[in-house]
Amino acid sequence: MTQNRDKGAPDVAELTPVVYRELRQIAAAYLRRERPGQTLQATALVHEAYLRLAVAGSPWRDERHFVGIAARSMRQILVDRARARGAQKRWAELDRVTLSASLAAATDPESMLPAVDEALTRLEQIDPEQAKIVELRYFVGLGIEEAAAALEMSPATLKRRWAMARAWLFRELSSGR
Amino acid sequence: MTSAQWQRVRELFEAAVDAEPSDLRQWLRAESDDAEVRAEVESLLRHHSRAGSFLNAPVPESVPELLDEEDALAPGTVIGQYNVVRELGRGAMGRVYLATDSRLGRQVALKALAPHLTGETSHRERLKREARAAASLAHSGICTVYALEEIDGHLFIVSELIDGHTLREEITRDRLPRAEAILSTARELAEALASAHAKGITHRDFKPENVMRDRAGRLKVLDFGLARGSAALTPLSSSPAGALATLPGLLVGTPAYMSPEQLNGQPADARADVFALGIVLYEYACGVHPFEASTPLGLAARVLESHARPVAESCRHIPPNVAAIVDRCLKKLPAERFASAGEIVQALASAELAPAQPAHFQTMWRVHQLVSMALYVIASTIAWEIKEQFKSPLSLWTFVAIGIAATITGVSRGHLLFTWRMNRSRLTHEWQRVRPAVVVIDLLIAVGLAVDGISFAAIRPLWGMLTIAFAVGLGLSTTLLEPATTAAAFDERLER
Repeated sequence: MTQNRDKGAPDVAELTPVVYRELRQIAAAYLRRERPGQTLQATALVHEAYLRLAVAGSPWRDERHFVGIAARSMRQILVDRARARGAQKRWAELDRVTLSASLAAATDPESMLPAVDEALTRLEQIDPEQAKIVELRYFVGLGIEEAAAALEMSPATLKRRWAMARAWLFRELSSGR
Repeated sequence: MTSAQWQRVRELFEAAVDAEPSDLRQWLRAESDDAEVRAEVESLLRHHSRAGSFLNAPVPESVPELLDEEDALAPGTVIGQYNVVRELGRGAMGRVYLATDSRLGRQVALKALAPHLTGETSHRERLKREARAAASLAHSGICTVYALEEIDGHLFIVSELIDGHTLREEITRDRLPRAEAILSTARELAEALASAHAKGITHRDFKPENVMRDRAGRLKVLDFGLARGSAALTPLSSSPAGALATLPGLLVGTPAYMSPEQLNGQPADARADVFALGIVLYEYACGVHPFEASTPLGLAARVLESHARPVAESCRHIPPNVAAIVDRCLKKLPAERFASAGEIVQALASAELAPAQPAHFQTMWRVHQLVSMALYVIASTIAWEIKEQFKSPLSLWTFVAIGIAATITGVSRGHLLFTWRMNRSRLTHEWQRVRPAVVVIDLLIAVGLAVDGISFAAIRPLWGMLTIAFAVGLGLSTTLLEPATTAAAFDERLER
């Protein structure tokens, strides 16, 4: 791997669009039921994308490293698509009085996605690590253990940071900003 | 809020979540004298306790349709000379529509290549080259490409419309195919691939989804060479290393049908198609993938590391020569596989002389084995009786010799029956191994009994003659009858 990098393999930022497309394609294949007997799981999706992209010559160190990059792409895919489907309009139409309750009940996750995305961008400025945790947990669906492994921290620490990020985002969204 | 304050907020939030102090305000005052920090921690804890199931269900699981693609062509859309009738399906390369060619007045399949495949000029050119190469293929087992159209910046491949179903649908059916269907499917697919390999064109993404059976029952292979073109998944000619498409590592194709060398990112040739054909035939014959695993990653690991269970063990009804071909297709090392599909066609041609024999001929063969085993018991019993009559050393040793010989040859026949029942693909091998010994020993028993009979005839002529007749019958049964029943049951394959 190191040798490949010395030869000047493309860097991570340049490959992000590739990861984005690959994830889209594989996701679509799952939804078309091309993988018999398998339902869509974002984690499996990322594994498969890794398998297809991350071989000799790729700039990521290992699968855990790749998962971090893929998580950003997943967030982008899901938020772009929710926007295209008019999520913002529905978000604006939500009843502000009962907003906090409907967020807590997660009644319409799609409509809040653009708002989550914007709040997450603000959280990134304050605490990039917490923002990354949200990407892994919420946009890829990694479990506590897997997310902790991807970020090289203990599961207990990750669980506490996730709780705080969730509380922070909940406050941002329920305040209706 | 400064970053130092934020650090402190985080510490206090985490400590409070763990400690759950009964009086939070008091606890906070004891921990920090910064009012701003205290207020923030309190606010976050309040929201923490109210957040309910907020963000608990990951988006891809709660709203999976967000991962679906958009950009479908609506029925009635006119693309150049083609009128879109309806969508037929979607593949990795893009959507496929049923369309009418208004100039030629025929129905065609119109494949709209996904924009991300064609966005970058060099990849677009490469994809076009591949599509042109595929269009040069003319074979009844390959879906004919009529045209490659570039309309409004989009690439379309216009091809023969195949009315039928995919091989995937046949595999997912509950019923397994008959031996004849396995043989003819193997032959048709190998011939189609061979005609392309002969022109130096490889498929690269051969899988059951890319094979269709038309209404007349003929198989057609779709999407030739496109996967190779889609190494263009990588729009990075500006990257320092040049086009990523030149990196050997980039995987194209479907992992479940990739050969070990493709998974390892090494260059792949026609032998990768041979590997994929092996998997497809295995799946078609047995209904299971040879490297079945619960995740794509697990499956890839098995392709790389473990050997497939011999196909004849997964399904007993596969013709033995097809089984041998499939097993060879699945070899890890490309050099151990067939060099191209053409070699498979040849191997299958010699399988032609093995039309399925009526089942009752095999029953006759089994009856012959059982009767022979009964004859050994009778032979031993006769030898015992004669020994009791004479009580001479000769008759004693004859009896011992016949007893030992009968045991050996009886066990050998039992072994053949067991192989027939449990592991039929090995029967030829086992037969050839056991047969010479069985013949020699059977003849020894016959000679022994004849010697006994001759001495017996001196005191009891009738019984003596009967014993001699029995000995002759035993000898003839092995030398004359058995080759005949075997040939009838297995069409002489065992004798070869």
